[in-house]
Amino acid sequence: MSVLRPFTASDLFRFNNVNLDLFTQTYANGFYLNYLSRWPDLCCAQTAPSGRMMGYILGKAEGNQQDWHGHITVLTVAPEYRRLGLASKLIALLERVSDETYRGFFVDLYVRCTNDVAIAMYEELGYSVYRRVREYYDSLGGTRGRDEEDAFDMRKPLSRDAGRRSVRANGREMLVSRFEVS
Amino acid sequence: MERQIKPIYEALDTGSNKAAIVACNKLLKKHPKNELIKALKALALVRSQKVEESLVLCDEVLAAKPTDDGVLTALMHVLRGLGRYKDMVTMFEEAYKQQPTNEELAAQTFFANARILNWKAAQQVATRMHKQFQEDRYIYWGVISAILQANDSMTAPNMRTLLYKLAHRLVTSSPTPSYVHADRFHLHLTILRELELFDEARTLLESDVGKNICSSSLACNELRRDIWRRQGLLKDEGAQAEVRITEQNDRNWLEFLSVLDATFSSLVSSAEPDEAAKTECTLQVAKTQELLAKLAEQDGPRDRSGLLALLELEKRARFHGISNDTDRLVDLMKRYFQEIGDKACCYEDLKPYLALEGEDATKWMSYLQSLTPSFTSTNDLRRLINSHKLLRQSLSADDLTLSAESDRAALYTQQYLEGLKLGASLAPTELQPADDLAILAGNVFVSLWKISSDEKYLYNAAALLEFALTKSKQSFQTRLMLIRIYRLLGAPAAALEHYRFLQIKQVEHDTLSHSVLSRASTFSLAASGDLTFITECLEASHIYISNMQETGEYIARAFNGEKYSQIPEFIIFEDRLENSLQRDLVKIEHLRMRLTHEAISSDIIDMELIELKFVFERLHRDNRDFEILPDYQPRSSQKFNEQTLLFGKSEGSGWLRAYLKVYIRALQQGSDLDDIVEEKLLIGDRPKQTTPESKLTFKNRLRERTAEESNELTSDELAFVDYATALANWLEPYHDHARPPPSVVLAEAAKQTELKTGHPLKGVEIPPKNGNGSTNGSVKKDEETPPITDAPELVLRHFDDMKTRFEAVKDSASPSLTLHVATLIQEAFLLFVVETLRFKTPSVVKVHKLGALVQQFKPIRTNALAVLREVSSTLVKRSERDATAEQRKLFVDACSPITALNIDHDFVLGVAKKMTDARKKVTEGVGKGITRLCTSYH
Repeated sequence: MSVLRPFTASDLFRFNNVNLDLFTQTYANGFYLNYLSRWPDLCCAQTAPSGRMMGYILGKAEGNQQDWHGHITVLTVAPEYRRLGLASKLIALLERVSDETYRGFFVDLYVRCTNDVAIAMYEELGYSVYRRVREYYDSLGGTRGRDEEDAFDMRKPLSRDAGRRSVRANGREMLVSRFEVS
Repeated sequence: MERQIKPIYEALDTGSNKAAIVACNKLLKKHPKNELIKALKALALVRSQKVEESLVLCDEVLAAKPTDDGVLTALMHVLRGLGRYKDMVTMFEEAYKQQPTNEELAAQTFFANARILNWKAAQQVATRMHKQFQEDRYIYWGVISAILQANDSMTAPNMRTLLYKLAHRLVTSSPTPSYVHADRFHLHLTILRELELFDEARTLLESDVGKNICSSSLACNELRRDIWRRQGLLKDEGAQAEVRITEQNDRNWLEFLSVLDATFSSLVSSAEPDEAAKTECTLQVAKTQELLAKLAEQDGPRDRSGLLALLELEKRARFHGISNDTDRLVDLMKRYFQEIGDKACCYEDLKPYLALEGEDATKWMSYLQSLTPSFTSTNDLRRLINSHKLLRQSLSADDLTLSAESDRAALYTQQYLEGLKLGASLAPTELQPADDLAILAGNVFVSLWKISSDEKYLYNAAALLEFALTKSKQSFQTRLMLIRIYRLLGAPAAALEHYRFLQIKQVEHDTLSHSVLSRASTFSLAASGDLTFITECLEASHIYISNMQETGEYIARAFNGEKYSQIPEFIIFEDRLENSLQRDLVKIEHLRMRLTHEAISSDIIDMELIELKFVFERLHRDNRDFEILPDYQPRSSQKFNEQTLLFGKSEGSGWLRAYLKVYIRALQQGSDLDDIVEEKLLIGDRPKQTTPESKLTFKNRLRERTAEESNELTSDELAFVDYATALANWLEPYHDHARPPPSVVLAEAAKQTELKTGHPLKGVEIPPKNGNGSTNGSVKKDEETPPITDAPELVLRHFDDMKTRFEAVKDSASPSLTLHVATLIQEAFLLFVVETLRFKTPSVVKVHKLGALVQQFKPIRTNALAVLREVSSTLVKRSERDATAEQRKLFVDACSPITALNIDHDFVLGVAKKMTDARKKVTEGVGKGITRLCTSYH
């Protein structure tokens, strides 16, 4: 339960309770303005009835031909609002717009191979690993070595990909370098 | 040629401006007339801060009215660097005039106008573009330009309507309907809403395409909802929302609000509803209740919308006097707590319903008190935390006694320690589920401090919260509380350490830098060479420069991509940063510190003066985030934010204006730049004035003081401002008399420029020397010297008064107040230096016959220096006392409430050391800095 509304430029003044979290990056203003100036309908926020920011998603549409798809760039929920199913609602919206407005073949996202909680959530929402991208992230200094720096590229086909050609079963074994992905 | 120019671009791209200049010079020898090389050199020059030289070249190329793409792009960057946005418009206009079929030039002309928010001109360009290039999107560029012109606060209301009508005409003139594109559609709806053309809006929205757009565009749907509401179609909207909730499983809270609004529509539509309306509404309430109850049942704890909507329904029914069940509200609250109590958001959700009275309040409180704490799972723990927060929120002023609050602090701390066991195995990057208990205890300790004025409670808060951070390093809320507490305790270094850990960056500087930079000059050691806070100010200010340079780019992008919904938002965003209150509060703090660090000279005076005059014309926007501070204080008490403000006062626009006036007046008097000179020497555009037009002259606006201004100052700041005002009033006529005439100042500036660049200063004519007594730059005027008056009482007494004040606060427990008074005395003295700098030159005094005035400075100065020396030595002595084993023991002993609960004694000792060391550092540093200033300005 929350107010689902477009993410706007002025939200940069009120997202501190979300962004001060360790795993959420605050980028230069240009990053947000770039997304908003190109894919405003793929950027949306959830707020509490009081107006307090709970979380937001920023996405884009990219790729050529069969590779044309929606991409989740940032998805974050403030610590105090986790475990309320907010993330899945944000994702559902992005999927709907990617499908209906952009007519993409699939939606994809990157996630740290060690982020078991997130991976499980994405799998439950219908995403599967398409490939593993080597050294996509900086190390967190943890103990899980390579898994920490590598990312899974996870995908979920949309209605346009009726043949489910954008996903595959053995994605976890498909290793690519980070220079091969956009 | 292209091959030869490539290395210049490469040098510019990599920031090697020097190399770029060398390469340009080499090529210019062979091609002295080449515009591109000149433009690139101007760019390299402006990027190396060689503004005057860049200006000369830039103007030279501009005069040739270039049309070449490369030249224009280079010049565009030069002009941006120089802040000459108006000239950018002229440049592109000229080029576009020469090549009217060049679409790129047309677009650049449009953007250049958009950049300076000249929407009228932009709209005309768009019209021309549409005629020439026949593209629909240029119609829409014109449409949004008309709307933005209409929305400008300077546009008269009747003009506003006219402009919207123009926009409407343009939209309907488009050969393709607006609904081919969601953002065009959005723009169209905005116009229809403004003009209240609701029927047309409905036709659009009820078409299949319209419905489709609204189903996937949140922005369009938001507009649609608003149009429905304005038309009074609450029932219709409610019915639609119900369908979306029940059939499409939509759980957007906005839909629930629509259902609720519809439920009460029969009562809201008339001012005094009759019985029939009430009966109808009662029926509606029952129906809605049924619907929501079913949803709540069906969703369970998975989604809390149904339950929360039931609460809201009951609250509104009570408000309208049609609730038929006195128990229902509290029963629903209990149910909410039972079902959602194990989620962190429960407290926030219930907060709007907590203002209960009489029996309701008693029932609710006794329910919460009847709950038994349990620590078996994190769910239980969250439930316990929520119950504490809810209870605490409803405590009355009578409940906040010293002993009751002490018991609460002990209870929360003890339960916190118990709760930690549940998170023992969590990774160090995770937050502890028990964190909020420590934060609650921290709130209580601060409340105890407020009740008793006994600092020992702040020690407890600091020690406990520091302990909580060892368990939960990432808890930014804990850190933000500690920053406040350490500043109250006069331990700024400890506060800064936590601030740094938060890694505040980008736009967060604007919203959060207040936590350490508010009144930071109180703690600045810049006078003794430590630039920590000065650096912090500069870092926090980068964001405003990048905003100015970049945001316009994205506005242009949004035009190109036809994302019209974003354009007004970007403009608001840019404006909020450009006119940010925090930006200029930091500016003032920076100036106050700068004057203690750098030798006061006419250069500093002139530069700061021009900047402050710009700042004075801004209508400020407050973007500071205070909501981020965790606040669990009862409704009946002050909020945590208010309780922990340094000196109990927050700086707002009143504070800023009071300080701006003090400094603008002093700098203006100390400067040779009068308005005529400033106008001639100013490079770049004057910033858009956003303050409302005033009937007063600039001079009188500076003299005026409002209640808002006085209220935001501490009593000591007020004394400083009064002193500064008296000083300025006294010296103004003598400065005005002795200031060299504009022609002389300009001639000097021209001479300096020519020495630097080899070119004369543009637009300045150097008057021939007429032998009119020009010695050492002091020019004799024909007018008589104004009669010399005695120094005002307020000025003469100020330093003695402040000395008495200092004596009274020098031993206060926290050094913060001591430093506040000490730094204000120092500031009063530095202001005196600024005000009297002009009269240091003997020839000025002699030529203008100001001997009798200058004689009066000496005793004031001597007295000020004596007071400052004493302040300095008192501070240094105090610093030695601040960091002794005895002080640390005092701290640790004071923390018995928490050490008794098994928080390690040695850990608390560590916190004690951190605080006392930080205190020593700042009192000693400020003290020594004052001595240094006394020596420099002896």
